[in-house]
Amino acid sequence: MSRSETSLSLAALTEAYRSRHRGMDEWLPRSAEADWSRVLGWLVEQGPEALAGLTSDLQHQLREHGAMFDPQRQQNRTLDLLPWLIDGAEWQQLEAGLVQRRRILSAALEDIYGDQTLLKEGVIPPEVIYRNSHYLLPCHELLPDGGDWLLQLGCDVGRDASGQFVVYGDSTQVPGGLGYVLENRIALNQVVPELDKYFKKRQLAGYFKQLQKTLVPLTPYGSEPLIGLMTQHARDGQYFEHAFLANYLDMALVHGADLMFREGRLWLKTLSGLQPMDALLRYTPDVLSDPLELSASDSGSPGLLQSIRQGTLMCCNPPGASLVDSGAFLPYMARLCERLLGESLIIPTAPTVWCGEAGQLPGVLDRLDGLIIHDLDAPQRVIAVAGLGRKKREALAEALTRDPQRYLARDVLPLSTLPVWQEQMFQPRSVALRTFVLQNNDGDRVLPGGLARCDQDPVQLQQGLGTRFVAKDVWLASDNSRSVSLLHSTLTSVRLSRKTGLLPSRVADHLFWLGRYSERLNLACRAIRASLPLVSTVANEDQLATLTPLVEFACKINDGTFTPTESAEELTTQLSQLFDRNRKDGLLAVLQALIMNAQSVREYFSEDTWYVLERLQNALNQFPAHGSTSRMVRALDEIILLQSAIYGLNNETMSRTQALRFMDIGQHLERAQKTTALLYSVFVTDPHPPASLMEAVLRMADTLMTYRRRYRTELHPMAIVDLLLLDEGTPRSVGYQCLRLKRQVRKLPQRDSTLTGLNAEQRLMVELVAQIQVVDLESLLSEDGQPYYRLGDLLMNIHTMLTRLSDAITVAYFNHTDIPRPIERT
Amino acid sequence: MKYQITHLTQYRYQYDIANCYNHGCLVPRSLPYQKVDSARIDVLPLPSSLYTRRDFFGNQHNFFHVNAVHRHLEVKTTSRVEVIPRDVHSAVAGSMPWEEARRALQRATDEQSLQARLLCTGTRMTPVAPVYGDYARALFEPGLPILEGARRLCHRIFSEFSYDPGFTTITTPVDEVLRQKRGVCQDFAQLAISALRSLGLPARYVSGYLETLPPPGQPRLVGADASHAWFSVFAPGEGWVDFDPTNDLMPSERHITIAYGRDYGDVVPLKGLMNGGGHHELIVEVDVMPLEAAGP
Repeated sequence: MSRSETSLSLAALTEAYRSRHRGMDEWLPRSAEADWSRVLGWLVEQGPEALAGLTSDLQHQLREHGAMFDPQRQQNRTLDLLPWLIDGAEWQQLEAGLVQRRRILSAALEDIYGDQTLLKEGVIPPEVIYRNSHYLLPCHELLPDGGDWLLQLGCDVGRDASGQFVVYGDSTQVPGGLGYVLENRIALNQVVPELDKYFKKRQLAGYFKQLQKTLVPLTPYGSEPLIGLMTQHARDGQYFEHAFLANYLDMALVHGADLMFREGRLWLKTLSGLQPMDALLRYTPDVLSDPLELSASDSGSPGLLQSIRQGTLMCCNPPGASLVDSGAFLPYMARLCERLLGESLIIPTAPTVWCGEAGQLPGVLDRLDGLIIHDLDAPQRVIAVAGLGRKKREALAEALTRDPQRYLARDVLPLSTLPVWQEQMFQPRSVALRTFVLQNNDGDRVLPGGLARCDQDPVQLQQGLGTRFVAKDVWLASDNSRSVSLLHSTLTSVRLSRKTGLLPSRVADHLFWLGRYSERLNLACRAIRASLPLVSTVANEDQLATLTPLVEFACKINDGTFTPTESAEELTTQLSQLFDRNRKDGLLAVLQALIMNAQSVREYFSEDTWYVLERLQNALNQFPAHGSTSRMVRALDEIILLQSAIYGLNNETMSRTQALRFMDIGQHLERAQKTTALLYSVFVTDPHPPASLMEAVLRMADTLMTYRRRYRTELHPMAIVDLLLLDEGTPRSVGYQCLRLKRQVRKLPQRDSTLTGLNAEQRLMVELVAQIQVVDLESLLSEDGQPYYRLGDLLMNIHTMLTRLSDAITVAYFNHTDIPRPIERT
Repeated sequence: MKYQITHLTQYRYQYDIANCYNHGCLVPRSLPYQKVDSARIDVLPLPSSLYTRRDFFGNQHNFFHVNAVHRHLEVKTTSRVEVIPRDVHSAVAGSMPWEEARRALQRATDEQSLQARLLCTGTRMTPVAPVYGDYARALFEPGLPILEGARRLCHRIFSEFSYDPGFTTITTPVDEVLRQKRGVCQDFAQLAISALRSLGLPARYVSGYLETLPPPGQPRLVGADASHAWFSVFAPGEGWVDFDPTNDLMPSERHITIAYGRDYGDVVPLKGLMNGGGHHELIVEVDVMPLEAAGP
């Protein structure tokens, strides 16, 4: 017991592992080999505590890259310290097989979406294609001459009972996992760089460089092609992987709404106008890629298919290619290889049958437990029979009998095992390997590595990438001459693209509103915090009436309503109702809008920001709306503190580009407008607000100290209006906001290079700043006992001009961000 | 018979539209019994780009993009078509028994049979299920010639269903149509297709026009016609034969074919995506004018 706490023995661990494992293992037969024993030897030498530490560093490293973030915060994968060293000779064989496989499947797609010779000759039964919902008729003859149907292919590989590698699945639609491979490699390099001494591994960068060449093979010298990584939705679980990959590959991360078809090609809508798209690495499902010709969706782009037909867009892979993913070709790979390439198949495919083929069904029903069923009607549904309960299993058998043509049945592979470091020992875990192959005119390339997924249950590994697993990096011995360094080393800040001016209009729109909502939430919380203690301590009704403006301000901040009342209790109720979850004008609604905008541009925020946002959400959800005043104030303190944390984080992590500028404009525009509204409700109707209200206003604006320092007098309306409206040196004054907005709109990208004067938003700000600078405060606040009508007019005017500024920015930068919607026929 | 056909679609919007993508399947196709002498498509405002292509079935599709600001979009097709009379009735009795036709098709892989096999599979709009098969099965007695079965199905739909333009929309599912026993031409065509395919028989959806004859003694009204739809059945040896369940007849000279496909979705006359616009009003005018003076 005590021995194992301080040191480990490789021999003992190996022995323990040998006694635990069943079936084939990747490591045991090769455990005497120098590479394995050096790598394992080093790890074991570190001792159990260090290994635990390194393992947790590794997970932290992955989190740092943001890769682990998804909306549900599910940690579907962890990374193991020990890589999988694949034997060079065996890899060569696999490599050749993968290259061949891509050629077969590419030719098969070309045939099916062309002459259909394969169906006429009976190589494939027509119903396997015709009944397949991934077979898309509008994609017939989609590619111009010479186009390749499969630019990149992911293949899932595992060991069969004889111990050889076989392919059990192909993926064209979402070659998911490519980003994971990269993240795993980088994390492992950072956490255990020492292992480099014991094993020289082949680098991955060459493959990714090649990817760019494959996507844009004919780049005129000196021109920079624009490649987009097209992702589906911010809510998609793989979104971050896409953002990570786009950043690494220096591609623009685009949504359907960022693209526009015009003059025979697709364009990226950016703040500096339309930029021609040359290629798309597409991660959107085929049928959702073009809402005009395929299925209606908001994740695609109308004209995408037409651009491919025009030859102006290289799409990896073209819509229609996911016919491969459905498994339709699995039963026929050997035949297809003979027929299409005139070669024999190098790596076999896991035995698969089409249940519609005469005589197949009884055999399928007999060995149902050892099968995985593919539904051609819904190819994303892959069912492992072994995992089904009795009822579901019977229902499936019935469905197979009723309509066998609809299903494929694939044998479950036994898979081999690999040691995974868990609970202070090596545990045997089944392993499946996702590999990648890339088309290239000078010879296809296979990624020298891959995503190894380990789990106790070999069956669920074979169902798809979506399930929980322990990942392993895959290492191949380098012969040194092939070593290429990684493209970039800056991996923590994820940006859209290094190409300046390529900020999509949609992103700018979200950031602008993110700025506005976060300021709105902040001001509301500050107003509530400032009014709560006053409301609960008022002595009489007169005093209460004078507090009304602040409560009214808080209640109306998100277009809500306020009912004048003379009861302190009712005022408190109206304030606490702002925390009601179901109110559209409440604070949680503001937070929801804030989060929605943030999620839509997730790649701009660090993991820490999400953590803080989540805490903010909890704090608002659990707000003690019926608690004591001091409890509520404490809760508001916490909320306001969390918000300042977000500001700080964004300033730190978001690169200082146009992106940050739009958020800044949104935030300060909101602050200027709401401060104007506050001043109006406090000073315009009542020329002599009570001192406690004025103090609350100053405290709310964080300017009480400034005021005391500057004036050292009792509170006076004129001094407060001066401080909060005109003083350009006070960070919360309207004057300061306007000056800042004026500076920021000057720096926005110029849309029309022929325009020599100022544009609408610049003109507005010049005018507004000038107006504030020439204000004669004494004449505005003449002491005749009348309400300050002229101050009121000025405030109204500022408010209106700020609304016009918001509109001008919307028209100039965001207006074309809306997604074309269907014209309904009635 | 020769016709000049004008098909005008107009959209009037509440607000301006600056960007609009359209996909049309409006130009009549050539067929052994249909000759297209001329066809043109005019779009107003002028589209910034217009592309034409043939689909899997050989139908013509037009994709066009309008990026001029507009509140009124007009798409007009004008075509001159000659429909050659077909002897549609004589094939009915002599066609292959339906079970045999189904069996023959299971093995055939020539181009025409392959397409027929594609047209045996259900789609979202024309689903395959026992309920539709049952509707046709009573009519398809053992050994009945396949086209005779189709004719009976056509007649059954005609006599049991009421034509009710207000009841269905383009998205009303076939099962709803079957339950309520009402709909319009495309509903009847798609129901027949579902029924036939559920028996394992090949059927396709045809979109086109029908020349309407004015009541005796009255002049022909210009623009009073409409787009029409019917279905077609494949009989080995005979090829594809049309049936019009809305009028309980076998189309010959007075039906003009625009396009055919698996269902309405393959040959939607005009669909579009746009930015802005608000509410809109849609006006469709079809005029099928016989050209009497058109030679022998």
